Amino acid sequence: MAIKTILVIEDDRFIGEMYVRSLKHSGYEVDWMVDGHDGFVAAQNKPYDLIMLDIMLPEMRGSEILKGLRGGGKNLVPNSKIIVMTNFDQDEESRGAMEHNVDAYLIKAEITPRHLLEVVSKLSGEGPEATPTTET
Amino acid sequence: MAMQVLLTLVIGTSLLFAGVDVSSPKFWVSMMAILVASLGVNIILVNQLLLPLKDLADALTHASREPTDLTPPNPNAKRHEQIGFKPLLQYIYESHSQTSSPATDASGAADSIKRAFDQTSAGIVIMNSDGKILFSNKNAPVTVTKEGEKRLNLIFEDNDTFDAWLQEQKDSVHAEKSWLRIANKIVGEEDRHIYDISVSYEKGSGSDVVMILHDRTGLYQPEDDSLDFISFAAHELRGPITVIRGYLDVLDIEIGETLDQEQRELIKRLVVSANRLSGYINNILNASKYDRRHLKIRLVEDSLYSIYETINDDMQLRAQSQNRLLSVAIPDNLPTIAADRSSLSEVIANLIDNGLKYSNEGGSVSVTASLDGNMVKVNVEDHGIGMPSNVVSNLFHKFYRSHRSRETVSGTGIGLYICKAIVESHGGTIGVKSQEGVGSVFTFSVPTYASVKDKLLANGSTNDGLISQGTGWIKNHNMYNG
Repeated sequence: MAIKTILVIEDDRFIGEMYVRSLKHSGYEVDWMVDGHDGFVAAQNKPYDLIMLDIMLPEMRGSEILKGLRGGGKNLVPNSKIIVMTNFDQDEESRGAMEHNVDAYLIKAEITPRHLLEVVSKLSGEGPEATPTTET
Repeated sequence: MAMQVLLTLVIGTSLLFAGVDVSSPKFWVSMMAILVASLGVNIILVNQLLLPLKDLADALTHASREPTDLTPPNPNAKRHEQIGFKPLLQYIYESHSQTSSPATDASGAADSIKRAFDQTSAGIVIMNSDGKILFSNKNAPVTVTKEGEKRLNLIFEDNDTFDAWLQEQKDSVHAEKSWLRIANKIVGEEDRHIYDISVSYEKGSGSDVVMILHDRTGLYQPEDDSLDFISFAAHELRGPITVIRGYLDVLDIEIGETLDQEQRELIKRLVVSANRLSGYINNILNASKYDRRHLKIRLVEDSLYSIYETINDDMQLRAQSQNRLLSVAIPDNLPTIAADRSSLSEVIANLIDNGLKYSNEGGSVSVTASLDGNMVKVNVEDHGIGMPSNVVSNLFHKFYRSHRSRETVSGTGIGLYICKAIVESHGGTIGVKSQEGVGSVFTFSVPTYASVKDKLLANGSTNDGLISQGTGWIKNHNMYNG
């Protein structure tokens, strides 16, 4: 499934803009929510191909959003892929719990926009070579 | 006796005063009758009065275990109850049965030992060879399940548990082992204790396993707290470094084409420095995790070649920006290894970083790999300043920095420490050969996947279908799609 529309739920303005800017630059349609509750509502209002989810969020934590969207056997976003992006290493148990409900779990500090584009195109099923490379 | 003679005399005298004739046979007959009657009364009285004392003496004789024909007095006899003698006799029998019987001697001793065990701050657990708990004292971290079975509450490292060790001792006669810094609860939970544990195993002794737990919470807890702080601070640093690395990427993508050679070089220096900073932060986080025994290594089948591929661009950039030559020759046909990709790439990055740092201007660092028995061996060689032998022995210690390098080369002193921790967590070894003024060769070996596959699968340490991405992962959807 090719990814075209992306919802970014990220409260850090700098980091959020960085993702949004580079994703838009690569031709994706991107919406950006800065608080957890707005993000949770937005995720259900429009069928996004991909949801990028921070964990430490105001109003509603990323883990709660995940539980709300895909917890208890239900799946409110069957057509969306979900990537968790965080800078806090979770303990093994909560990581393990997320494994079942998300398509990727990434450490923000290690994922520069270029890496992110690679991951998105991998999830798109296009393979990394589909991403334009701008290595110097 | 004296009493009854006196009584008879008094009655006789009173009869004489009453005018009874002394010579009258009636007088003597009545005197004799009184004497005999009082004798009878006396005997009955004495018997009644002395009988409890006799019972007491009999009971004591019986209690003392002296050979005797006496029947032990029955404390439940009615007369004992009437005169309140029953409790006294019972006491004699009970106290005797508690202290004198050889069979109950041991239980008396066991009671006092148990009391003593409960006084000590150490935990003591005794088990049979199947690990079933036969005894545990008050301070042992043991809980009782709903089924009434006692269970040990300790969090061992996955690859070094007590249960696995006990299992291994099936064929041993005698064994001993100790574990350091084992907690009963995870960080943050109430009433958490941290123990140093020593266990001895003696086959067939009934109580085969004796475990003694020294409570070292006071010693380890402050250290853990400061490690928590370090970990928290390092996490905080990740936010800004994400932004710096990210926007450098954005700038490169958006205006990279328009820059001249020199400007590109400046950007490259920023990228290299930001990447190194990110590497240091990961080192600090890993070291604090390792020290808290939280470093989780998930070993999966992987190839050294593809692991290196993930950091090649970054490493080449680092070498270039420091004006060094980095040559890497890792054959792509080496057997696969059991590896945690992000951890092992950090090891290689740290060793290369080290080689670059201690090389001379324009010098070269070479990375080679080969198969050595069941291990894949990696050499990272530089032709730099080298080290004297007294430095080499301390090299893998935390915060160790040689006097000379402290003055001339920057660094944190945890790079090699975490390298050793990671390599050993892979079941491998790390070492160095160095000659002052000539250079150093760092070598590490990790087991091939084939040689540890069975063990890994038995421990469930695989995460098939996940593609490691730094410390994170993404699902391999292609695999699911066939």
